[in-house]
Amino acid sequence: MIVEFGHFALITAFILSFAQGVLPLAGASRGNIALMMVAPAAAISVALAVTLSFLALVWSFVTSDFSLALVANHSHSTKPLIYKISGTWGNHEGSLLLWILILAVYGGVMAFGSRAMPMALKARILAVQGLVSTGFLAFSLFTSNPFLRLSSAPLDGKGLNPILQDPGLAIHPPMLYLGYVGLSMAFAFAVAALITGDVDRMWAKWMRPWVMAAWCALTCGIALGSWWAYYELGWGGWWFWDPVENASLMPWLAATALIHSSIVVEKRGQLKSWTVLLAIMAFSLSLVGTFIVRSGLLTSVHSFASDPARGVFVLVILLFAVGIPLSLYAWRGPQLITTADFTLTSREGALIANNMLLVVATAIVLLGTFYPLALELITGARITVGPPYFNATFNPVMALLVTVMTIGPVMAWRRGNTARLKPVIICAACGAILSCLAVLSIGSGFGIGPMVALSLIGWLGIGISADIWLQLKPSKSSSLISRAKRIPRDVIGMWVAHLGIVVFMIGAVGDNLLNSEQVVRAKPGDVIKIANRSVTFSGVKQVQGPNYQALAAQLEYRDEQGRLFAVLTPEKRIYNAERQTTNEAAIRPTLLGDDYAVLGDGDAKIGYTLRLYYKPLISWIWGGAVLMALGGLIAAFGRQRVTKSQPTNAVTAGPLSSASKVGTR
Amino acid sequence: MSQLRISFLLPLLAFSILALIGAVALYSTLSGSRDPTQLPSVLVDKPAPPTNLSKLVQNNSPVQSSVTLASFRGKPLLVNFFASWCSPCRAEAPALEMLSKRISILGIAYKDRNDDTLQFLKQFGNPFQAIGVDQDGRTGIEWGVYGVPETYLVSADGVVILRHAGPLTRSIIDNTIIPALETLGS
Repeated sequence: MIVEFGHFALITAFILSFAQGVLPLAGASRGNIALMMVAPAAAISVALAVTLSFLALVWSFVTSDFSLALVANHSHSTKPLIYKISGTWGNHEGSLLLWILILAVYGGVMAFGSRAMPMALKARILAVQGLVSTGFLAFSLFTSNPFLRLSSAPLDGKGLNPILQDPGLAIHPPMLYLGYVGLSMAFAFAVAALITGDVDRMWAKWMRPWVMAAWCALTCGIALGSWWAYYELGWGGWWFWDPVENASLMPWLAATALIHSSIVVEKRGQLKSWTVLLAIMAFSLSLVGTFIVRSGLLTSVHSFASDPARGVFVLVILLFAVGIPLSLYAWRGPQLITTADFTLTSREGALIANNMLLVVATAIVLLGTFYPLALELITGARITVGPPYFNATFNPVMALLVTVMTIGPVMAWRRGNTARLKPVIICAACGAILSCLAVLSIGSGFGIGPMVALSLIGWLGIGISADIWLQLKPSKSSSLISRAKRIPRDVIGMWVAHLGIVVFMIGAVGDNLLNSEQVVRAKPGDVIKIANRSVTFSGVKQVQGPNYQALAAQLEYRDEQGRLFAVLTPEKRIYNAERQTTNEAAIRPTLLGDDYAVLGDGDAKIGYTLRLYYKPLISWIWGGAVLMALGGLIAAFGRQRVTKSQPTNAVTAGPLSSASKVGTR
Repeated sequence: MSQLRISFLLPLLAFSILALIGAVALYSTLSGSRDPTQLPSVLVDKPAPPTNLSKLVQNNSPVQSSVTLASFRGKPLLVNFFASWCSPCRAEAPALEMLSKRISILGIAYKDRNDDTLQFLKQFGNPFQAIGVDQDGRTGIEWGVYGVPETYLVSADGVVILRHAGPLTRSIIDNTIIPALETLGS
């Protein structure tokens, strides 16, 4: 009964979201208030209906209702509860429903809040949202219905792919989708602006929290995915330049550019058409990502629910959702051109440089991801584009970006010079030189790439610290506390996020330069030396898990003095229901570095393959990502109201500019 | 009045090209002429491409010698494409070590710097009879290498018997490589 109810709720949501997409658009162009009022009401109803539908599906997973095809195929009665719940989105149909749920909830929140926004703008934004969710609801209902029953229910389910049975992966998809789908809000803002034909500062101001929220979630989502790959795939790597990873990186890069360009729109009323394009691009790229992952067109270590037949539907959605806005952009975009009133050496100039570099980086990733596919179609040759390509192209662009990152924030709008500019650059340069020297004193023989990365860590880290100090330095008239109170929250957020990049780089460079690795075939009693520690392999033993059996190796880690400081037990698990084996790496994470051990193949006679790593500083990579997301949150929601938005009862359906510009002048 | 500007059409154009690639790829996948999960090699049951590479030597060594596939004629040969920058290659190192007791292995260092390759061999062992250097990846293209690691079994008369993309695991060795070796009479 609950299942049928969920199915019915989904159909209701489909019809309502179609209404949400069509009626307000007509209303906004004719100035019909009643039709515009449909938008928030419909958006809230869609959010409720989809939530109910999703809960119904979660319920059938929790209660292991194997009469449902989806549950029978992807769940098992012996699975721990958390994986029963996360199993809801551990498959194509369920994760699509989660996608729709997040989209609908964003729409509902937008409908509920944003009261200050002109009604026509709000109606159009919600309408665009409604059209997007109509497309995805149709996708779900017509090709990937999660509520299909089986005529005879099996006694037990087939289980969930064991490498997805993992706490990291339980929250990774929801996080990632919060990011992907959050970008649909920016997209809706952009399309609404193109329909209206006008962009103003308030538009950017209203859009920014949505973009920031989406960006934070995307940052966390990508970090979680990378973390999962690190500990679950058992290769000790954290980024593989895999198509699916690239698919999440591209919208992230575009969203990062969008965050920065929307500042220019908000503060200076410039870069309007560019910002609109970026907003469309960011969401388009997340749709492209969905397309790649769902269609299985590119082979990946991360894709688990792919089917080319579904790819057709995603492609059709993609054609509408990207093709129409880009056509609209070609037509209406030129209206948004403004004449530049700033020199290149200004805050605007630095932000433009940031945008250029980020877009180039996005293009590099896009090319690296799609080129093999294009080449294969034209010549039939199969190639992979791997780390060598990305290291040679992506990293230099990022290096330039970090270079600008120190200077940009201390420049003034319009003309570059501020009192802080010179001291910050001097400090940053000293930092760069010092970090280079410090490393050279420890050892030599590092390549040019790591040396540049190290000096950039000094350049950015010291540069930001100098900026913070100069802005907080107590003077005669004001103490440190009172100066700190006057600093806008978005500046604090920026500092935190940019310091996150420093932390991230320390982790990436540390792992790259200093990691040590031992692959051995060992018999019980053998001692393996790795990075100042000696590891005693004291044998393997059988372990019985809730839904698996495992072989666990006992590894005793001793330091130079021979003191035992850790016992790691990497496992090889055999999952009963799914008949699959996985390697569970054992990791002892510390701030200084991770001990990482994997148990490979072998038996008692010939010994077991052991892969041991010591990965210095690697946890800083994810620490950096957390800081970035935290900075984003501070900037998004802790903002001081500089200009109080005018409460507009703008019932005029015409250009929203007349109503909303009042607030900014 | 809005006028059409070329630069504003570019995003649409770029997207159309991408969508076209996606559509064609999808069409050929659906019509069955392309399978992204299988990596069939056109080389199987065909003669291995004639391969002549410069041999991996210590950097300061003045001797420049070459390694050819032809010199291995007469007994079965395993050809393994690897690189120091590839993590799965490290993982399969013990497997190759084990196999090297049964069959000679020709290693091809794919798109790698000599220093790095030598370092890699020092760290993970050298199961190879000889190592050819394929710095620009040309040989990889001739063999149709999809990505490293990749392993080919070549018969005594120089015909490719099987190809495996990805790291060699115990089960692949036991279920695929060893039986194929046995049919070759090795």
